[in-house]
Amino acid sequence: MSMLRGFLILVLFFLLGEALRLVFQVPVSGGVLGMILMTFTLMLRGRVSDALALSSQALISILVLLIMPGVVGVFFMASRFSDQWLAMAAALLLGTFLSVLSTLLLMKGVMRLSAREQGHD
Amino acid sequence: MTELMERFVAVPDALSASPLFAIGLTLSAFFAGSWLFTRMGKPLWMPPVVLSAVILAAVIAFLSVDYLRYQEGSRWITLLLGPATVALGIPLYQQIHHIRALWIPIVVTLPLAATLAAVYAVVIAWAMGATPEVLASLAPKSVTAPIAIGITEQLGGSVPLLMGGLLITGVVATLFVDLLAKWLPVEDERILGFALGLNGHAIGTARAFEISHTAGAFASLGMGLTGVFTALMLPLVFRL
Repeated sequence: MSMLRGFLILVLFFLLGEALRLVFQVPVSGGVLGMILMTFTLMLRGRVSDALALSSQALISILVLLIMPGVVGVFFMASRFSDQWLAMAAALLLGTFLSVLSTLLLMKGVMRLSAREQGHD
Repeated sequence: MTELMERFVAVPDALSASPLFAIGLTLSAFFAGSWLFTRMGKPLWMPPVVLSAVILAAVIAFLSVDYLRYQEGSRWITLLLGPATVALGIPLYQQIHHIRALWIPIVVTLPLAATLAAVYAVVIAWAMGATPEVLASLAPKSVTAPIAIGITEQLGGSVPLLMGGLLITGVVATLFVDLLAKWLPVEDERILGFALGLNGHAIGTARAFEISHTAGAFASLGMGLTGVFTALMLPLVFRL
């Protein structure tokens, strides 16, 4: 029962996010708006109910299951673009390598800088 | 006897009219993939989502179920992606003290890194002669699926191609984070989690939760912020 109650809260926040998206015409999905709202609400309340913690954990642990139907589409629909596979492969592999490298170096560098600054205070 | 055989062969197609067929297939492939993943000793280069998806595709092809019909039934599963995205707000809140302590690096890194994630891919593909449709499908490759689909539709890309790009990006981002963490080296779980979520969306985030709860929270944060930022930035940039 408590898991279902937590699920209801998640669904309500999702619907609230969708409603905001439709009213204010933001190009961000209802799920993300709901996530932001959820985080702020919890920050204001200062605690998470057991029901909510339980159902969020359950959903997060099956994220892989939830994206599977979309992933499977690749095997059935991607052949249309086979003439550009080299450009796509390069963009995905090299591009992702570079962006992971950039993120790690940026984050590490900025963290070191801001830590040094705090050391001076 | 042949009549019985004919009826037997027609079963998968008839059953696939119900969404429960797609749900049963997907769940079976999910468990088979997870089982196989554990049996293979949890290899980093082969995340469970790929194993499960390959099994699922093979079964769909073998039973000659119409893919579009499967896709329709599986909407009952994909539907949960909405509340699941909301659910990511909970680990985010639980780790908020870590995030508060690091808000300056996060605010500085995120817009730059999220922009680079899209720019690298688009520039490389463009230089190698990809069409605008392909570019529009690749641009949101580091964004979590529900947001990325919206972006690609807005830019005029192909959603199935995007899903392929998302999958490959998620998998290789996970691999590259593990590799580069050793090379650079970066040991801070918070940085690794953030990089996983920023570059590898849900697949990276799933991997981050395997590392630790803290890494998972930073991945959720990176994924969420990248999604919001990219959704606002890309449509503006593509108009130019």
